[in-house]
Amino acid sequence: MQFQSQAVAKPYFIAAIGLFIGQILFGLIIGTQYVIGDFLFPEIPFNVARMVHTNLLIVWLLFGFMGAAYYLVPEEAERELFSPKLAIALFWIFLVAGALTIVGYLAVPYATLAAVTGNDLLPTMGREFLEQPTITKMGIVVVALAFLFNIGMTIIAGRKTVINIVLLTGLTGLAVLFLFSFYNPINLVLDKMFWWWVVHLWVEGVWELIMGAILAFVLIRLTGVDREVIEKWLYVIIAMALITGIIGTGHHYYWIGTPEYWQWWGSIFSALEPIPFFMMTVFAFTMVNRRRKEHPNKAATLWALGTAVMAFLGAGVWGFLHTLAPVNFYTHGSQITAAHGHMAFYGAYVLVVITMISYAWPHLQHNAPASNGRAQLLEMWSFWLMTVSIVFITLFLTGAGILQVYLQRVSDTPLPFMVVQDKIALFYWLRLWTGVIFFVGLCLYVYSFFAKGKETLASS
Amino acid sequence: MNGQTDTSVPGQTIAVAAEALYLANLLLLPGFSFALLLWLFFRHRRNGAPLARCHLRQTVAASLWAGVILVIVNVLILATGGYQSANVWMYVIIYFTVGHSSLILLGMVGLAKAMAGRAWRYPIIGMQCDE
Repeated sequence: MQFQSQAVAKPYFIAAIGLFIGQILFGLIIGTQYVIGDFLFPEIPFNVARMVHTNLLIVWLLFGFMGAAYYLVPEEAERELFSPKLAIALFWIFLVAGALTIVGYLAVPYATLAAVTGNDLLPTMGREFLEQPTITKMGIVVVALAFLFNIGMTIIAGRKTVINIVLLTGLTGLAVLFLFSFYNPINLVLDKMFWWWVVHLWVEGVWELIMGAILAFVLIRLTGVDREVIEKWLYVIIAMALITGIIGTGHHYYWIGTPEYWQWWGSIFSALEPIPFFMMTVFAFTMVNRRRKEHPNKAATLWALGTAVMAFLGAGVWGFLHTLAPVNFYTHGSQITAAHGHMAFYGAYVLVVITMISYAWPHLQHNAPASNGRAQLLEMWSFWLMTVSIVFITLFLTGAGILQVYLQRVSDTPLPFMVVQDKIALFYWLRLWTGVIFFVGLCLYVYSFFAKGKETLASS
Repeated sequence: MNGQTDTSVPGQTIAVAAEALYLANLLLLPGFSFALLLWLFFRHRRNGAPLARCHLRQTVAASLWAGVILVIVNVLILATGGYQSANVWMYVIIYFTVGHSSLILLGMVGLAKAMAGRAWRYPIIGMQCDE
Protein backbone atom coordinates (compact mmCIF):
# COMPACT_ATOMS: atom_id res chain seq x y z
CA MET A 1 0.00 0.00 0.00
CA GLN A 2 1.59 3.24 -1.16
CA PHE A 3 -0.51 5.61 0.96
CA GLN A 4 -1.82 5.07 4.47
CA SER A 5 -5.16 6.69 3.70
CA GLN A 6 -5.92 3.95 1.16
CA ALA A 7 -6.77 1.84 4.21
CA VAL A 8 -10.18 3.55 4.44
CA ALA A 9 -11.23 1.34 1.52
CA LYS A 10 -11.13 -1.71 3.79
CA PRO A 11 -14.37 -1.20 5.75
CA TYR A 12 -16.15 -0.31 2.50
CA PHE A 13 -15.07 -3.60 0.95
CA ILE A 14 -16.09 -5.58 4.05
CA ALA A 15 -19.51 -3.93 4.09
CA ALA A 16 -19.91 -4.54 0.35
CA ILE A 17 -19.26 -8.26 0.74
CA GLY A 18 -21.53 -8.47 3.80
CA LEU A 19 -24.40 -6.85 1.91
CA PHE A 20 -23.67 -9.04 -1.13
CA ILE A 21 -24.30 -12.09 1.07
CA GLY A 22 -27.57 -10.52 2.20
CA GLN A 23 -28.56 -9.84 -1.40
CA ILE A 24 -28.01 -13.44 -2.42
CA LEU A 25 -29.90 -14.78 0.61
CA PHE A 26 -32.90 -12.69 -0.36
CA GLY A 27 -32.43 -13.84 -3.95
CA LEU A 28 -32.76 -17.41 -2.72
CA ILE A 29 -35.87 -16.49 -0.77
CA ILE A 30 -37.61 -15.01 -3.81
CA GLY A 31 -36.33 -17.84 -5.97
CA THR A 32 -38.08 -20.22 -3.56
CA GLN A 33 -41.22 -18.09 -3.51
CA TYR A 34 -41.42 -18.41 -7.29
CA VAL A 35 -42.07 -22.13 -6.85
CA ILE A 36 -43.49 -22.29 -3.29
CA GLY A 37 -45.71 -19.26 -3.29
CA ASP A 38 -46.34 -19.03 0.47
CA PHE A 39 -42.75 -19.61 1.55
CA LEU A 40 -42.05 -17.29 4.52
CA PHE A 41 -45.42 -15.63 4.00
CA PRO A 42 -46.65 -13.40 5.60
CA GLU A 43 -43.38 -12.61 7.40
CA ILE A 44 -41.46 -11.77 4.20
CA PRO A 45 -43.81 -11.22 1.25
CA PHE A 46 -42.41 -11.59 -2.28
CA ASN A 47 -42.60 -7.88 -3.09
CA VAL A 48 -40.64 -6.98 0.04
CA ALA A 49 -38.01 -9.69 -0.48
CA ARG A 50 -37.55 -8.59 -4.10
CA MET A 51 -37.17 -4.97 -3.01
CA VAL A 52 -34.53 -5.96 -0.45
CA HIS A 53 -32.75 -8.11 -3.08
CA THR A 54 -32.46 -5.27 -5.60
CA ASN A 55 -31.82 -2.50 -3.07
CA LEU A 56 -29.04 -4.48 -1.39
CA LEU A 57 -27.46 -4.96 -4.81
CA ILE A 58 -27.42 -1.23 -5.48
CA VAL A 59 -26.16 -0.36 -2.00
CA TRP A 60 -23.37 -2.94 -1.92
CA LEU A 61 -22.20 -1.93 -5.38
CA LEU A 62 -22.12 1.70 -4.22
CA PHE A 63 -20.05 0.62 -1.21
CA GLY A 64 -17.78 -1.23 -3.62
CA PHE A 65 -17.42 1.77 -5.94
CA MET A 66 -16.64 4.06 -3.01
CA GLY A 67 -14.11 1.63 -1.59
CA ALA A 68 -12.54 1.28 -5.03
CA ALA A 69 -12.33 5.06 -5.37
CA TYR A 70 -10.73 5.47 -1.94
CA TYR A 71 -8.13 2.87 -2.84
CA LEU A 72 -7.52 3.99 -6.41
CA VAL A 73 -7.55 7.78 -6.21
CA PRO A 74 -4.65 8.30 -3.75
CA GLU A 75 -2.45 5.99 -5.80
CA GLU A 76 -3.34 7.70 -9.07
CA ALA A 77 -3.15 11.21 -7.58
CA GLU A 78 0.10 10.32 -5.79
CA ARG A 79 -0.99 11.85 -2.51
CA GLU A 80 -2.89 10.97 0.62
CA LEU A 81 -6.67 11.18 0.61
CA PHE A 82 -7.93 14.69 1.39
CA SER A 83 -9.75 13.55 4.53
CA PRO A 84 -9.64 9.93 5.70
CA LYS A 85 -11.76 10.86 8.74
CA LEU A 86 -14.53 12.14 6.50
CA ALA A 87 -14.38 8.88 4.53
CA ILE A 88 -14.79 6.82 7.71
CA ALA A 89 -17.60 9.05 8.99
CA LEU A 90 -19.43 8.70 5.67
CA PHE A 91 -18.99 4.96 5.81
CA TRP A 92 -20.83 4.70 9.11
CA ILE A 93 -23.54 7.15 8.06
CA PHE A 94 -24.17 5.23 4.83
CA LEU A 95 -24.07 1.85 6.54
CA VAL A 96 -26.45 2.81 9.35
CA ALA A 97 -28.84 4.56 6.95
CA GLY A 98 -28.79 1.57 4.61
CA ALA A 99 -29.33 -0.91 7.44
CA LEU A 100 -32.20 1.12 8.90
CA THR A 101 -33.83 1.28 5.48
CA ILE A 102 -33.65 -2.49 5.04
CA VAL A 103 -34.98 -3.03 8.58
CA GLY A 104 -37.77 -0.61 7.70
CA TYR A 105 -38.67 -2.63 4.58
CA LEU A 106 -38.82 -5.82 6.62
CA ALA A 107 -40.35 -4.57 9.85
CA VAL A 108 -43.32 -2.46 8.75
CA PRO A 109 -45.66 -2.38 5.76
CA TYR A 110 -44.31 -0.23 2.94
CA ALA A 111 -47.20 2.26 3.23
CA THR A 112 -46.45 2.69 6.93
CA LEU A 113 -42.78 3.23 6.16
CA ALA A 114 -43.77 5.92 3.66
CA ALA A 115 -46.01 7.59 6.23
CA VAL A 116 -43.54 7.61 9.12
CA THR A 117 -40.66 8.85 6.97
CA GLY A 118 -42.63 11.84 5.69
CA ASN A 119 -43.09 10.75 2.10
CA ASP A 120 -46.16 13.03 1.93
CA LEU A 121 -43.96 16.10 2.13
CA LEU A 122 -41.84 15.13 -0.87
CA PRO A 123 -43.20 11.96 -2.48
CA THR A 124 -40.41 9.91 -4.06
CA MET A 125 -41.23 6.36 -2.96
CA GLY A 126 -42.99 3.49 -4.68
CA ARG A 127 -40.91 3.18 -7.83
CA GLU A 128 -38.89 0.09 -8.66
CA PHE A 129 -35.25 0.33 -7.45
CA LEU A 130 -35.98 3.78 -6.00
CA GLU A 131 -38.14 2.49 -3.15
CA GLN A 132 -35.94 4.09 -0.49
CA PRO A 133 -37.73 6.51 1.87
CA THR A 134 -37.24 10.14 0.88
CA ILE A 135 -35.15 10.75 3.98
CA THR A 136 -32.80 7.92 2.96
CA LYS A 137 -32.53 9.40 -0.51
CA MET A 138 -31.53 12.72 1.06
CA GLY A 139 -28.94 10.88 3.11
CA ILE A 140 -27.58 9.28 -0.05
CA VAL A 141 -27.25 12.73 -1.64
CA VAL A 142 -25.39 14.09 1.38
CA VAL A 143 -23.05 11.08 1.46
CA ALA A 144 -22.49 11.30 -2.30
CA LEU A 145 -21.68 15.02 -2.18
CA ALA A 146 -19.28 14.66 0.74
CA PHE A 147 -17.68 11.66 -0.95
CA LEU A 148 -17.23 13.61 -4.20
CA PHE A 149 -15.77 16.51 -2.27
CA ASN A 150 -13.24 14.20 -0.62
CA ILE A 151 -12.28 12.46 -3.84
CA GLY A 152 -12.37 15.67 -5.87
CA MET A 153 -10.11 17.57 -3.48
CA THR A 154 -7.63 14.71 -3.55
CA ILE A 155 -7.51 14.73 -7.33
CA ILE A 156 -7.38 18.52 -7.62
CA ALA A 157 -4.40 18.69 -5.28
CA GLY A 158 -2.64 15.71 -6.84
CA ARG A 159 -1.71 14.17 -10.16
CA LYS A 160 -4.50 14.15 -12.72
CA THR A 161 -4.60 10.96 -14.73
CA VAL A 162 -7.11 9.80 -17.30
CA ILE A 163 -8.16 7.07 -14.89
CA ASN A 164 -9.00 9.28 -11.94
CA ILE A 165 -10.65 11.91 -14.14
CA VAL A 166 -12.83 9.27 -15.81
CA LEU A 167 -13.64 7.80 -12.39
CA LEU A 168 -14.52 11.23 -11.01
CA THR A 169 -16.70 11.95 -14.05
CA GLY A 170 -18.53 8.67 -13.56
CA LEU A 171 -19.04 9.23 -9.84
CA THR A 172 -20.22 12.80 -10.42
CA GLY A 173 -22.67 11.55 -13.04
CA LEU A 174 -23.88 8.94 -10.58
CA ALA A 175 -24.60 11.62 -7.96
CA VAL A 176 -26.17 14.12 -10.37
CA LEU A 177 -28.44 11.59 -12.07
CA PHE A 178 -29.65 10.31 -8.70
CA LEU A 179 -31.23 13.75 -8.19
CA PHE A 180 -33.89 12.74 -10.73
CA SER A 181 -35.16 10.29 -8.12
CA PHE A 182 -36.61 13.35 -6.37
CA TYR A 183 -38.56 14.34 -9.48
CA ASN A 184 -41.80 12.44 -9.30
CA PRO A 185 -44.35 13.96 -11.71
CA ILE A 186 -48.00 12.96 -11.50
CA ASN A 187 -48.07 12.19 -15.23
CA LEU A 188 -47.12 8.52 -15.41
CA VAL A 189 -45.37 8.85 -18.77
CA LEU A 190 -43.14 11.66 -17.50
CA ASP A 191 -42.57 9.74 -14.29
CA LYS A 192 -41.31 6.69 -16.21
CA MET A 193 -39.25 8.82 -18.58
CA PHE A 194 -37.30 10.46 -15.81
CA TRP A 195 -37.17 7.31 -13.70
CA TRP A 196 -35.05 5.83 -16.48
CA TRP A 197 -32.72 8.83 -16.26
CA VAL A 198 -31.65 7.39 -12.94
CA VAL A 199 -31.89 3.68 -13.63
CA HIS A 200 -30.73 3.45 -17.26
CA LEU A 201 -28.25 6.32 -17.27
CA TRP A 202 -26.64 4.81 -14.20
CA VAL A 203 -26.11 1.27 -15.40
CA GLU A 204 -25.77 1.91 -19.14
CA GLY A 205 -24.08 5.28 -18.79
CA VAL A 206 -22.02 6.61 -15.93
CA TRP A 207 -21.44 3.28 -14.18
CA GLU A 208 -19.65 2.12 -17.31
CA LEU A 209 -17.19 4.97 -16.80
CA ILE A 210 -16.57 3.81 -13.24
CA MET A 211 -16.19 0.23 -14.46
CA GLY A 212 -13.76 1.25 -17.21
CA ALA A 213 -11.63 3.31 -14.82
CA ILE A 214 -11.41 0.52 -12.23
CA LEU A 215 -10.59 -2.07 -14.88
CA ALA A 216 -7.92 0.17 -16.42
CA PHE A 217 -6.35 0.83 -13.00
CA VAL A 218 -6.17 -2.86 -12.13
CA LEU A 219 -4.85 -3.84 -15.57
CA ILE A 220 -2.04 -1.28 -15.41
CA ARG A 221 -0.96 -2.75 -12.08
CA LEU A 222 -1.34 -6.38 -13.09
CA THR A 223 0.21 -6.25 -16.53
CA GLY A 224 2.74 -3.42 -16.43
CA VAL A 225 1.54 -2.27 -19.87
CA ASP A 226 2.24 1.39 -20.61
CA ARG A 227 -0.29 3.74 -19.11
CA GLU A 228 -0.60 5.62 -22.43
CA VAL A 229 -1.81 2.49 -24.21
CA ILE A 230 -4.42 1.71 -21.59
CA GLU A 231 -5.56 5.32 -21.40
CA LYS A 232 -6.17 5.46 -25.16
CA TRP A 233 -8.33 2.36 -24.91
CA LEU A 234 -10.19 3.89 -21.99
CA TYR A 235 -10.95 7.07 -23.95
CA VAL A 236 -12.48 5.14 -26.84
CA ILE A 237 -14.42 2.78 -24.55
CA ILE A 238 -16.02 5.53 -22.51
CA ALA A 239 -16.77 7.57 -25.63
CA MET A 240 -18.59 4.60 -27.12
CA ALA A 241 -20.36 3.91 -23.81
CA LEU A 242 -21.75 7.44 -23.70
CA ILE A 243 -22.51 7.77 -27.43
CA THR A 244 -24.55 4.57 -27.43
CA GLY A 245 -25.83 4.59 -23.86
CA ILE A 246 -27.34 8.08 -23.60
CA ILE A 247 -29.66 7.91 -26.61
CA GLY A 248 -29.95 4.17 -26.00
CA THR A 249 -32.23 5.20 -23.11
CA GLY A 250 -34.82 5.17 -25.88
CA HIS A 251 -35.12 1.39 -25.63
CA HIS A 252 -37.10 2.00 -22.44
CA TYR A 253 -39.44 4.46 -24.18
CA TYR A 254 -41.06 2.06 -26.63
CA TRP A 255 -44.33 1.32 -24.90
CA ILE A 256 -44.75 3.92 -22.16
CA GLY A 257 -46.65 6.61 -24.05
CA THR A 258 -43.75 8.44 -25.67
CA PRO A 259 -43.67 9.32 -29.41
CA GLU A 260 -43.05 6.49 -31.88
CA TYR A 261 -39.73 7.86 -33.09
CA TRP A 262 -38.23 6.48 -29.90
CA GLN A 263 -38.65 3.00 -31.38
CA TRP A 264 -36.13 3.94 -34.06
CA TRP A 265 -33.75 5.92 -31.86
CA GLY A 266 -33.90 3.33 -29.11
CA SER A 267 -33.41 0.40 -31.47
CA ILE A 268 -30.51 1.90 -33.40
CA PHE A 269 -28.50 3.30 -30.51
CA SER A 270 -29.08 0.46 -28.11
CA ALA A 271 -28.14 -2.02 -30.82
CA LEU A 272 -24.75 -0.29 -30.68
CA GLU A 273 -24.49 -0.59 -26.89
CA PRO A 274 -22.57 -3.90 -27.03
CA ILE A 275 -19.68 -2.05 -28.72
CA PRO A 276 -18.06 -0.67 -25.55
CA PHE A 277 -18.36 -4.08 -23.89
CA PHE A 278 -16.90 -5.73 -26.97
CA MET A 279 -14.00 -3.29 -26.82
CA MET A 280 -13.55 -3.85 -23.11
CA THR A 281 -13.11 -7.57 -23.70
CA VAL A 282 -10.57 -7.10 -26.48
CA PHE A 283 -8.87 -4.47 -24.31
CA ALA A 284 -8.57 -6.72 -21.26
CA PHE A 285 -7.26 -9.71 -23.21
CA THR A 286 -4.87 -7.53 -25.22
CA MET A 287 -3.39 -6.02 -22.07
CA VAL A 288 -2.96 -9.41 -20.44
CA ASN A 289 -1.36 -10.80 -23.62
CA ARG A 290 1.04 -7.87 -23.76
CA ARG A 291 1.92 -8.00 -20.09
CA ARG A 292 5.46 -7.04 -19.20
CA LYS A 293 5.52 -8.84 -15.89
CA GLU A 294 4.06 -11.86 -14.19
CA HIS A 295 2.03 -10.46 -11.34
CA PRO A 296 1.65 -12.92 -8.46
CA ASN A 297 -2.04 -12.09 -8.03
CA LYS A 298 -3.43 -14.57 -10.57
CA ALA A 299 -6.89 -14.42 -9.02
CA ALA A 300 -7.24 -10.70 -9.71
CA THR A 301 -6.30 -11.28 -13.36
CA LEU A 302 -8.99 -13.95 -13.61
CA TRP A 303 -11.62 -11.66 -12.09
CA ALA A 304 -10.58 -8.85 -14.49
CA LEU A 305 -10.85 -11.03 -17.59
CA GLY A 306 -14.09 -12.50 -16.26
CA THR A 307 -15.50 -9.00 -15.85
CA ALA A 308 -14.91 -8.17 -19.49
CA VAL A 309 -16.27 -11.44 -20.87
CA MET A 310 -19.32 -11.64 -18.63
CA ALA A 311 -20.16 -7.97 -19.13
CA PHE A 312 -20.06 -8.51 -22.88
CA LEU A 313 -22.31 -11.56 -22.62
CA GLY A 314 -24.73 -10.17 -20.05
CA ALA A 315 -24.98 -6.54 -21.04
CA GLY A 316 -24.00 -6.92 -24.69
CA VAL A 317 -25.43 -10.16 -26.02
CA TRP A 318 -28.42 -10.58 -23.71
CA GLY A 319 -29.12 -6.85 -23.95
CA PHE A 320 -29.11 -6.93 -27.75
CA LEU A 321 -31.32 -10.01 -27.66
CA HIS A 322 -34.41 -8.01 -26.69
CA THR A 323 -33.49 -4.43 -27.43
CA LEU A 324 -34.93 -4.00 -30.94
CA ALA A 325 -38.44 -2.56 -30.78
CA PRO A 326 -40.15 -5.31 -32.85
CA VAL A 327 -38.64 -7.98 -30.57
CA ASN A 328 -39.22 -6.00 -27.39
CA PHE A 329 -42.89 -5.71 -28.33
CA TYR A 330 -43.16 -9.36 -27.32
CA THR A 331 -40.41 -9.77 -24.73
CA HIS A 332 -40.96 -6.61 -22.68
CA GLY A 333 -40.97 -7.28 -18.94
CA SER A 334 -40.72 -11.04 -19.35
CA GLN A 335 -38.21 -13.46 -17.86
CA ILE A 336 -35.92 -12.55 -20.79
CA THR A 337 -35.47 -9.19 -19.06
CA ALA A 338 -34.68 -10.97 -15.80
CA ALA A 339 -32.12 -13.15 -17.58
CA HIS A 340 -30.41 -10.06 -19.03
CA GLY A 341 -30.51 -8.23 -15.69
CA HIS A 342 -28.90 -11.06 -13.75
CA MET A 343 -26.00 -11.64 -16.10
CA ALA A 344 -25.39 -7.99 -16.91
CA PHE A 345 -25.22 -6.88 -13.28
CA TYR A 346 -23.04 -9.82 -12.35
CA GLY A 347 -20.70 -9.41 -15.30
CA ALA A 348 -20.34 -5.69 -15.41
CA TYR A 349 -20.57 -4.54 -11.81
CA VAL A 350 -20.35 -7.41 -9.34
CA LEU A 351 -17.22 -8.72 -11.01
CA VAL A 352 -15.53 -5.34 -11.39
CA VAL A 353 -15.98 -4.63 -7.68
CA ILE A 354 -14.62 -8.09 -6.80
CA THR A 355 -11.73 -7.51 -9.21
CA MET A 356 -10.81 -4.38 -7.31
CA ILE A 357 -11.20 -6.10 -3.94
CA SER A 358 -9.12 -9.04 -5.14
CA TYR A 359 -6.35 -6.70 -6.27
CA ALA A 360 -6.45 -4.34 -3.28
CA TRP A 361 -7.12 -6.72 -0.40
CA PRO A 362 -3.64 -8.30 -0.18
CA HIS A 363 -2.17 -4.80 -0.05
CA LEU A 364 -4.65 -3.66 2.57
CA GLN A 365 -4.52 -6.76 4.74
CA HIS A 366 -1.01 -8.16 4.37
CA ASN A 367 0.90 -5.30 2.71
CA ALA A 368 1.68 -7.83 0.00
CA PRO A 369 0.92 -7.89 -3.74
CA ALA A 370 -1.00 -11.16 -3.56
CA SER A 371 -2.70 -13.48 -1.14
CA ASN A 372 -1.20 -16.88 -0.44
CA GLY A 373 -1.62 -19.62 -3.03
CA ARG A 374 -4.41 -21.44 -1.21
CA ALA A 375 -6.46 -18.27 -0.81
CA GLN A 376 -6.05 -17.53 -4.51
CA LEU A 377 -7.03 -21.06 -5.42
CA LEU A 378 -10.20 -20.73 -3.36
CA GLU A 379 -10.91 -17.38 -5.00
CA MET A 380 -10.57 -18.91 -8.43
CA TRP A 381 -12.88 -21.76 -7.47
CA SER A 382 -15.40 -19.24 -6.23
CA PHE A 383 -15.08 -17.34 -9.51
CA TRP A 384 -15.91 -20.42 -11.54
CA LEU A 385 -18.71 -21.56 -9.25
CA MET A 386 -20.41 -18.17 -9.27
CA THR A 387 -19.79 -17.52 -12.96
CA VAL A 388 -20.96 -20.90 -14.21
CA SER A 389 -23.98 -20.61 -11.90
CA ILE A 390 -24.94 -17.20 -13.24
CA VAL A 391 -24.56 -18.48 -16.81
CA PHE A 392 -27.00 -21.28 -16.04
CA ILE A 393 -29.34 -18.99 -14.11
CA THR A 394 -29.39 -16.79 -17.20
CA LEU A 395 -29.97 -19.70 -19.55
CA PHE A 396 -32.80 -21.07 -17.40
CA LEU A 397 -34.44 -17.67 -17.19
CA THR A 398 -34.01 -17.28 -20.95
CA GLY A 399 -35.72 -20.65 -21.44
CA ALA A 400 -38.50 -19.55 -19.09
CA GLY A 401 -38.75 -16.27 -20.98
CA ILE A 402 -39.03 -17.90 -24.40
CA LEU A 403 -41.85 -20.13 -23.18
CA GLN A 404 -43.53 -17.31 -21.32
CA VAL A 405 -43.49 -15.00 -24.32
CA TYR A 406 -44.79 -17.69 -26.64
CA LEU A 407 -47.56 -19.03 -24.40
CA GLN A 408 -48.67 -15.66 -23.12
CA ARG A 409 -48.14 -13.30 -26.06
CA VAL A 410 -47.41 -15.01 -29.38
CA SER A 411 -49.67 -18.05 -29.36
CA ASP A 412 -53.03 -17.89 -31.18
CA THR A 413 -54.61 -18.95 -27.88
CA PRO A 414 -52.70 -16.92 -25.29
CA LEU A 415 -52.80 -18.17 -21.72
CA PRO A 416 -53.20 -16.05 -18.57
CA PHE A 417 -50.07 -14.92 -16.70
CA MET A 418 -50.41 -17.25 -13.71
CA VAL A 419 -51.24 -20.28 -15.86
CA VAL A 420 -48.03 -19.65 -17.78
CA GLN A 421 -46.10 -19.25 -14.53
CA ASP A 422 -47.19 -22.77 -13.56
CA LYS A 423 -46.10 -24.14 -16.90
CA ILE A 424 -42.60 -22.70 -16.64
CA ALA A 425 -42.07 -23.75 -13.01
CA LEU A 426 -39.46 -26.32 -14.02
CA PHE A 427 -37.17 -23.50 -15.13
CA TYR A 428 -37.71 -21.73 -11.81
CA TRP A 429 -36.74 -24.88 -9.90
CA LEU A 430 -33.58 -25.19 -11.99
CA ARG A 431 -32.82 -21.53 -11.41
CA LEU A 432 -33.29 -21.95 -7.66
CA TRP A 433 -30.85 -24.86 -7.35
CA THR A 434 -28.33 -23.06 -9.51
CA GLY A 435 -28.75 -20.10 -7.17
CA VAL A 436 -27.84 -22.37 -4.26
CA ILE A 437 -24.61 -23.28 -6.07
CA PHE A 438 -23.96 -19.57 -6.63
CA PHE A 439 -24.32 -19.08 -2.87
CA VAL A 440 -21.84 -21.89 -2.22
CA GLY A 441 -19.40 -20.07 -4.53
CA LEU A 442 -19.95 -16.88 -2.58
CA CYS A 443 -19.32 -18.67 0.74
CA LEU A 444 -16.09 -20.03 -0.73
CA TYR A 445 -15.14 -16.52 -1.76
CA VAL A 446 -15.68 -15.25 1.79
CA TYR A 447 -13.75 -18.21 3.19
CA SER A 448 -10.79 -17.37 0.91
CA PHE A 449 -10.18 -14.25 3.00
CA PHE A 450 -9.40 -16.43 6.01
CA ALA A 451 -7.47 -19.20 4.26
CA LYS A 452 -3.96 -19.68 5.55
CA GLY A 453 -1.21 -20.73 3.14
CA LYS A 454 2.15 -22.38 3.68
CA GLU A 455 4.31 -19.89 1.84
CA THR A 456 5.42 -16.62 3.34
CA LEU A 457 3.87 -13.55 1.79
CA ALA A 458 6.23 -11.35 -0.13
CA SER A 459 6.24 -7.78 1.07
CA SER A 460 5.07 -5.16 -1.38
CA MET B 1 -4.48 2.42 -30.24
CA ASN B 2 -1.33 0.42 -30.59
CA GLY B 3 1.37 2.12 -28.59
CA GLN B 4 3.87 -0.71 -28.84
CA THR B 5 4.06 -1.45 -32.54
CA ASP B 6 7.81 -1.18 -32.55
CA THR B 7 7.88 -4.76 -31.36
CA SER B 8 5.42 -6.01 -34.00
CA VAL B 9 5.87 -9.58 -35.21
CA PRO B 10 6.02 -10.48 -38.95
CA GLY B 11 2.52 -11.21 -40.21
CA GLN B 12 0.84 -9.36 -37.37
CA THR B 13 -1.08 -6.96 -39.61
CA ILE B 14 -2.57 -9.81 -41.60
CA ALA B 15 -3.34 -11.74 -38.41
CA VAL B 16 -5.22 -8.74 -37.01
CA ALA B 17 -7.02 -8.25 -40.34
CA ALA B 18 -8.05 -11.91 -40.37
CA GLU B 19 -9.53 -11.72 -36.88
CA ALA B 20 -11.23 -8.40 -37.64
CA LEU B 21 -12.79 -9.80 -40.84
CA TYR B 22 -13.93 -12.89 -38.96
CA LEU B 23 -15.66 -10.70 -36.38
CA ALA B 24 -17.08 -8.43 -39.08
CA ASN B 25 -18.54 -11.51 -40.77
CA LEU B 26 -20.32 -12.41 -37.53
CA LEU B 27 -21.37 -8.92 -36.50
CA LEU B 28 -21.50 -6.38 -39.30
CA LEU B 29 -21.16 -7.52 -42.90
CA PRO B 30 -21.82 -11.24 -43.21
CA GLY B 31 -20.80 -12.72 -46.55
CA PHE B 32 -18.78 -9.77 -47.82
CA SER B 33 -16.36 -9.97 -44.88
CA PHE B 34 -16.09 -13.72 -45.31
CA ALA B 35 -15.26 -13.27 -49.00
CA LEU B 36 -12.48 -10.86 -48.06
CA LEU B 37 -11.23 -13.28 -45.42
CA LEU B 38 -11.13 -16.10 -47.98
CA TRP B 39 -9.23 -13.89 -50.41
CA LEU B 40 -6.71 -13.08 -47.68
CA PHE B 41 -6.46 -16.76 -46.77
CA PHE B 42 -5.77 -17.97 -50.30
CA ARG B 43 -3.26 -15.18 -50.83
CA HIS B 44 -1.19 -15.96 -47.75
CA ARG B 45 -1.84 -19.59 -46.95
CA ARG B 46 1.48 -20.79 -48.42
CA ASN B 47 3.87 -17.87 -48.25
CA GLY B 48 2.56 -15.83 -45.36
CA ALA B 49 4.35 -15.43 -42.04
CA PRO B 50 3.57 -18.19 -39.51
CA LEU B 51 1.57 -15.82 -37.31
CA ALA B 52 -0.58 -14.69 -40.24
CA ARG B 53 -1.12 -18.26 -41.43
CA CYS B 54 -2.09 -19.37 -37.95
CA HIS B 55 -4.75 -16.70 -37.52
CA LEU B 56 -6.02 -17.11 -41.07
CA ARG B 57 -6.50 -20.84 -40.54
CA GLN B 58 -8.38 -20.32 -37.28
CA THR B 59 -10.69 -17.67 -38.64
CA VAL B 60 -11.52 -19.49 -41.88
CA ALA B 61 -12.18 -22.73 -39.99
CA ALA B 62 -14.35 -20.96 -37.41
CA SER B 63 -16.26 -19.11 -40.15
CA LEU B 64 -16.99 -22.41 -41.87
CA TRP B 65 -18.16 -23.87 -38.57
CA ALA B 66 -20.40 -20.83 -38.09
CA GLY B 67 -21.94 -21.61 -41.48
CA VAL B 68 -22.38 -25.27 -40.58
CA ILE B 69 -24.09 -24.36 -37.32
CA LEU B 70 -26.46 -22.03 -39.19
CA VAL B 71 -27.35 -24.83 -41.57
CA ILE B 72 -27.94 -27.21 -38.64
CA VAL B 73 -30.20 -24.68 -36.92
CA ASN B 74 -32.25 -24.22 -40.09
CA VAL B 75 -32.51 -27.96 -40.68
CA LEU B 76 -33.70 -28.42 -37.09
CA ILE B 77 -36.30 -25.69 -37.52
CA LEU B 78 -37.57 -27.23 -40.75
CA ALA B 79 -37.58 -30.71 -39.24
CA THR B 80 -39.62 -29.65 -36.21
CA GLY B 81 -42.46 -27.74 -37.77
CA GLY B 82 -41.05 -25.08 -40.08
CA TYR B 83 -40.49 -21.36 -39.67
CA GLN B 84 -44.00 -20.67 -38.37
CA SER B 85 -43.77 -23.08 -35.45
CA ALA B 86 -43.04 -22.22 -31.83
CA ASN B 87 -39.72 -24.06 -32.01
CA VAL B 88 -38.20 -21.28 -34.13
CA TRP B 89 -37.91 -19.05 -31.08
CA MET B 90 -36.13 -21.72 -29.10
CA TYR B 91 -33.60 -22.56 -31.82
CA VAL B 92 -32.91 -18.97 -32.81
CA ILE B 93 -32.41 -17.72 -29.26
CA ILE B 94 -30.31 -20.68 -28.20
CA TYR B 95 -28.20 -20.26 -31.35
CA PHE B 96 -27.79 -16.54 -30.73
CA THR B 97 -27.00 -16.72 -27.03
CA VAL B 98 -24.87 -19.85 -27.00
CA GLY B 99 -23.54 -20.45 -30.52
CA HIS B 100 -23.13 -17.02 -32.06
CA SER B 101 -21.86 -15.36 -28.89
CA SER B 102 -19.31 -18.16 -28.32
CA LEU B 103 -17.99 -17.66 -31.84
CA ILE B 104 -17.73 -13.91 -31.17
CA LEU B 105 -15.87 -14.53 -27.92
CA LEU B 106 -13.38 -16.74 -29.76
CA GLY B 107 -12.85 -13.93 -32.26
CA MET B 108 -12.31 -11.37 -29.51
CA VAL B 109 -9.69 -13.47 -27.81
CA GLY B 110 -8.14 -14.20 -31.22
CA LEU B 111 -8.04 -10.49 -32.03
CA ALA B 112 -6.38 -9.74 -28.70
CA LYS B 113 -3.80 -12.46 -29.36
CA ALA B 114 -3.16 -11.15 -32.87
CA MET B 115 -2.76 -7.60 -31.58
CA ALA B 116 -0.22 -8.90 -29.08
CA GLY B 117 1.63 -10.73 -31.88
CA ARG B 118 0.81 -14.19 -30.54
CA ALA B 119 -0.38 -17.31 -32.29
CA TRP B 120 -3.50 -18.94 -30.91
CA ARG B 121 -5.47 -22.00 -31.82
CA TYR B 122 -9.24 -21.72 -31.35
CA PRO B 123 -10.35 -24.38 -28.87
CA ILE B 124 -12.22 -27.36 -30.38
CA ILE B 125 -12.98 -25.82 -33.80
CA GLY B 126 -9.53 -24.36 -34.56
CA MET B 127 -6.82 -25.83 -36.78
CA GLN B 128 -3.25 -26.67 -35.92
CA CYS B 129 -0.76 -23.78 -36.26
CA ASP B 130 2.73 -24.20 -37.74
CA GLU B 131 5.39 -24.84 -35.14
